[in-house]
Amino acid sequence: MVRKRERVFQGNGVSAGIVLGQALKLDSHNRVILRIRVDDVEEEVRRYLRAIEASKEQLAALKSRLEEKVGREHSIILDAHILMLEDKSLNAEILATIRDSHANAEWAVTQAADRLVHAYESLKDEYFRERHSDIEDVVERILINLSGGRPVSWEALPGDLIIVSHDFNPSNFASMDLQKVRGLVLESGGRNSHTAIISRGLRLPAVMGIQDFLPSIVSGDTLLLNGDDGQVVVNPSQKRIQSQRRRIEAFGSAAEAAPAQASPGTLTRDGKAISLRANTELPHELRAAKKSGAEGIGMFRSEFLYFRHRGGLPGLEEQLSAYRTLAREMSPHPVAIRTLDAGSESIFEAHDLASQVNPSMGLRGIRLSLHLREAFCTQLEAILRASCEGNIEIVLPMVSTVEEIRQAKALIGQVRSRLLKTPKVELKPVPIGVMIEVPAAVLALEVLAREVDFLCVGTNDLIQYMLAVDRGNPHVAYLYQPLHPSVLHCLSRIAHVAGKTKIPARICGEISSNPFYAVLLLGMGFTQLSMNPLSIPTIRRVLQEVSVESCRKIAVRTLSFATAREACEYLTDAVAKLVKMDLASYAKEILAPNSSPE
Amino acid sequence: MIRQPITVSNRLGLHARAAAKLVRLASRFSSEIHISREDANQRIDSKSILGILMLAASKGTRLVISIEGRDEAEAGEAIKQLFEENFGEGN
Repeated sequence: MVRKRERVFQGNGVSAGIVLGQALKLDSHNRVILRIRVDDVEEEVRRYLRAIEASKEQLAALKSRLEEKVGREHSIILDAHILMLEDKSLNAEILATIRDSHANAEWAVTQAADRLVHAYESLKDEYFRERHSDIEDVVERILINLSGGRPVSWEALPGDLIIVSHDFNPSNFASMDLQKVRGLVLESGGRNSHTAIISRGLRLPAVMGIQDFLPSIVSGDTLLLNGDDGQVVVNPSQKRIQSQRRRIEAFGSAAEAAPAQASPGTLTRDGKAISLRANTELPHELRAAKKSGAEGIGMFRSEFLYFRHRGGLPGLEEQLSAYRTLAREMSPHPVAIRTLDAGSESIFEAHDLASQVNPSMGLRGIRLSLHLREAFCTQLEAILRASCEGNIEIVLPMVSTVEEIRQAKALIGQVRSRLLKTPKVELKPVPIGVMIEVPAAVLALEVLAREVDFLCVGTNDLIQYMLAVDRGNPHVAYLYQPLHPSVLHCLSRIAHVAGKTKIPARICGEISSNPFYAVLLLGMGFTQLSMNPLSIPTIRRVLQEVSVESCRKIAVRTLSFATAREACEYLTDAVAKLVKMDLASYAKEILAPNSSPE
Repeated sequence: MIRQPITVSNRLGLHARAAAKLVRLASRFSSEIHISREDANQRIDSKSILGILMLAASKGTRLVISIEGRDEAEAGEAIKQLFEENFGEGN
């Protein structure tokens, strides 16, 4: 075989580490199309032809429905789709691939489609170039008719994979076998996307924002991914691999080893006890949390259990077993379970709720739970019943009114009294807290605090809602500024109210895991931080080096600046003087999102 | 064997709907019907919609149609008429 030429691509490194692996390209639906050798090619041909017939029938039905609604002129576009299914040269090509290479129909279809889409994308005329989307539409239909369009099982895949896709939903992490994945390359996305945050939590090297990458690679290409500087080398030369081998191996063995020894609590230099907890989502993060010496789970994102069901809801037993494991494994430390906080399309579809134009301001969090009351009660029952295995807390997400807390508490009360009547069920008291992530909740904090046992500050969402910025949108991502004066005043107010009302407030956002922000938060008065488990050892070391008083001074000064940039310059400088550890890489992290788009 | 030049004169060119009409029409004849652009070498089967769209023939594009078979005369006439009627799109 001819050795493939080495090519170098540049994106943004969003999760550190250097790895070598083979590309696994996911299509626009995050599907993997695997090549499987078929023995009975004629049966495979018949399977393909049946899928084509089924697709044609569906399109014909769709066409007549569309004709009634919008008239014949517009429904003709579906005629074009039907003709694509009948296209002789396309069919001939696909059938030849099946017969000559003993290939499965799914593979043959996507091979032909890739070639066609590529050819169309090279056309100069914009209208005709755009026809590739019609082809993708048709291919999507064929694939669904072939195998239900379901992703291929991970068992069949080899190890050392680097996922390559245009974009990637955080929920996809739930369905993939992370033991087999070494890295992630995305054409879209950025440092502050949820996927980037999870990648860092998993210590999964990742490069995002890499332009026009997909057309130039195929699954199986060797990739050398550098999550530090954002470089991805396709089919790297032996020479290059050799020169990087030491770093690749060093990263691999560091990832295997325990990140740190569990240590008994964190004390600042002047003796203030700081509680560091872990945010977790996936079951194996629990192991990382324990290794990091986390004093509990600050926020368990229960969506994971839901995503696994693709919109269906997990049953009582499944949830109960997951929460019991969490409680037991972390005991005697507390575990805060955040109730469902998804506004995901799949859940809406499964429950016949109309899709929402603006889901982040729509039916999500506690709003959705109060709407899907039965499912919410199932989740509450599982949480309450798991309570006797350890120390469980409930956190209600996306709360904006006191009524929502009262309604949720009433439901918790109902479930509890029903359970108490059940023989052999033991329950422990379960503290109830709310996520503070909507600006309204910050302004009405005094009245909300009266209703709950603790507060969790979800800074990721709070900053977005506060600044009206979607951090996933590259055009405005530069406005996602944790050091914006309004954000700092919000946080300072939360610390103040928490102190006054004696209701503990815990920071549960990504900012906790950055040493500069951690110092700032401590200076504002927060003594409970929750973060991705792998950041805990670093944050512990930093906070052990500082005194509360010096942090307080830094916080007061940081709050006085008019712009995030000035605050950032001051903060990085002041903290670097205070702490011996080299924090240069973390400084880069907080400067990057604040830069304007010029 | 018939070879006839033809110019795309409808506003949108041989876009999806027009291409669909052309394929439907061409498929009615047993003759081999091929189309090429005057300014390029590619020769495509007029019974393949994917081929026709690949021509990317916008308004004003000059095409050559070659037809060979038993019903080539009727096919040539019908196709010429479809183009002249601007695929029933008015302009």
